[in-house]
Amino acid sequence: MKEAIALEFYKTRRRRIWVIVAAMIFVQMLWSMWGVGRMDAHDLAEGWMFFLYKLPLLNSIMMPVIAAVVASRLCDIEHKGQTLKLLNTVMPAGRLFAAKFICGALYLLAAVLLQIAVMVVTGCAAGFEGNPPLGKLLLYLLFTMAATLTILLLQQVLSLLFANQMISLSVGLVGGLAGLFTMFFPQGLERLLLWGYYGVLMLVGMDWDAGTRIMDLHYTPVDWAGFFMLAVLFCALYMIGRTLFVRKEM
Amino acid sequence: MSDRITTTGLCKKYGKVLRVKDLDLMVPEDGVYGFLGPNGAGKSTTMKMILGLTRPTAGKIVVFGKEVNSRNRLSILQDVGSLIESPSFYGHLTGAENLQIISTLKGVPDKDIDRVLKIVRLENQKQKKAGQYSMGMKQRLGLACALLGNPKLLILDEPTNGLDPAGIQEMRELICSLPQQYGMTVMVSSHLLSEIDQMATNVGIISRGELVFQDRLSVLHEKSRPGIAIRTLNNEAAAKTLFEQGVSCRPEDGYLLLPRLADDELAGYISLLFDRRVGVVRIEERRESLEEIFLELTGTAVSL
Repeated sequence: MKEAIALEFYKTRRRRIWVIVAAMIFVQMLWSMWGVGRMDAHDLAEGWMFFLYKLPLLNSIMMPVIAAVVASRLCDIEHKGQTLKLLNTVMPAGRLFAAKFICGALYLLAAVLLQIAVMVVTGCAAGFEGNPPLGKLLLYLLFTMAATLTILLLQQVLSLLFANQMISLSVGLVGGLAGLFTMFFPQGLERLLLWGYYGVLMLVGMDWDAGTRIMDLHYTPVDWAGFFMLAVLFCALYMIGRTLFVRKEM
Repeated sequence: MSDRITTTGLCKKYGKVLRVKDLDLMVPEDGVYGFLGPNGAGKSTTMKMILGLTRPTAGKIVVFGKEVNSRNRLSILQDVGSLIESPSFYGHLTGAENLQIISTLKGVPDKDIDRVLKIVRLENQKQKKAGQYSMGMKQRLGLACALLGNPKLLILDEPTNGLDPAGIQEMRELICSLPQQYGMTVMVSSHLLSEIDQMATNVGIISRGELVFQDRLSVLHEKSRPGIAIRTLNNEAAAKTLFEQGVSCRPEDGYLLLPRLADDELAGYISLLFDRRVGVVRIEERRESLEEIFLELTGTAVSL
């Protein structure tokens, strides 16, 4: 399996997949610098919560697109070169499916880790109150990865099953917008849509006082039921997607 | 001589249409097995079924004496190289990098890459991106991938497709040399009769999904019945004379085509024509071409 994963990285040489990850981190750095620069003492006290509230919003738009592009870059090489019929005679299709997914997942893990690093460095530099909330950051890593990997999985299945990558990229774009849109809906509706889970698994809630025009942030209880539901969705999607790919005739 | 591949009652249905019907193939060890048939006859589908890329609707496939199933497929295919339809390659990687991927997956030592590059004469182009290769070079890269690990059996589907005449000639020579030089069995498909005629030792002809002929190529040649063609100064009178003698003939391109005749019998008819003052200017032996045999076997025209 290690060999198959290493080969996925080898195959994507000169495909510059890391550029998309770097671009995302760059945009988020600019955004956090802009956001932190406008903070007053009240905001600085809630600084860590501010990041943990805003980043899932940013992720719900950006991550589905990044996952779609990463999956597409990994899978379209096989369609372009008509290599699946050759690979299918030298390795099990299920292993190829898993290797591609792990390779894409490593790129996205790097993206989220860098995102957290940017968050911590910016927060410390700006003088946020208290130490970085490590427990919350770990939960943020877990939940962001859970939602992102499930989306990546869906994108990979679409990118492998359809040679035309416009299908999977369109799903990524529409999904990102739909995910953001559902954040303004009741939570029950958010749970129905895969892209809504960045919102479902948010660690911070907001109270908006229209009179004083002051926004107060607070930590919310972890929605483990939502996480469990996402895990079930992931497993179902993996089994269905893998079976469809393995059974696909060349 | 044992068979490398045998199929029994192999069928493939797409929707309600049977694309491959009860195919009983026998690909003997060593030599080149030509799998001939018009476009859409079911050649690629059959080869894909042998490689496990497509599931048969019914029937049995035995390769190297083992019945192929989903569990043992990959272990059997370790000794099989394939090139199906167009060559598979990663255009953004060099030729050598492409081969590196397949050699790693096949578990073949790296030095084999140089060996196969030499066989297909791509050693000087190995650092060039495969996307920049000409069609002939891509096809040779595909063949190099198939040759990695020195497999006992090669399955090549229309390997000369899209090549120029020089490329076709080169590929043909390469395929013909493989059984003698490396002891491989090659199963090669084509819709070109002349190509199979020049490469194959055994031939299987498929038409509308059914096997209509399978034997040594020499047997196919033997099927071509010789006939006699004569040209006279008055074909009409000659035909009338021969008809009176009970010999059926038909005119074609200024000749009269007669069935196969014993020499003395023919000499008698020619002398009779001279007696009737019909000048005979040509007497030729004609053999049915492979195309005509194919037509007889399948009732289908085949590309030349």
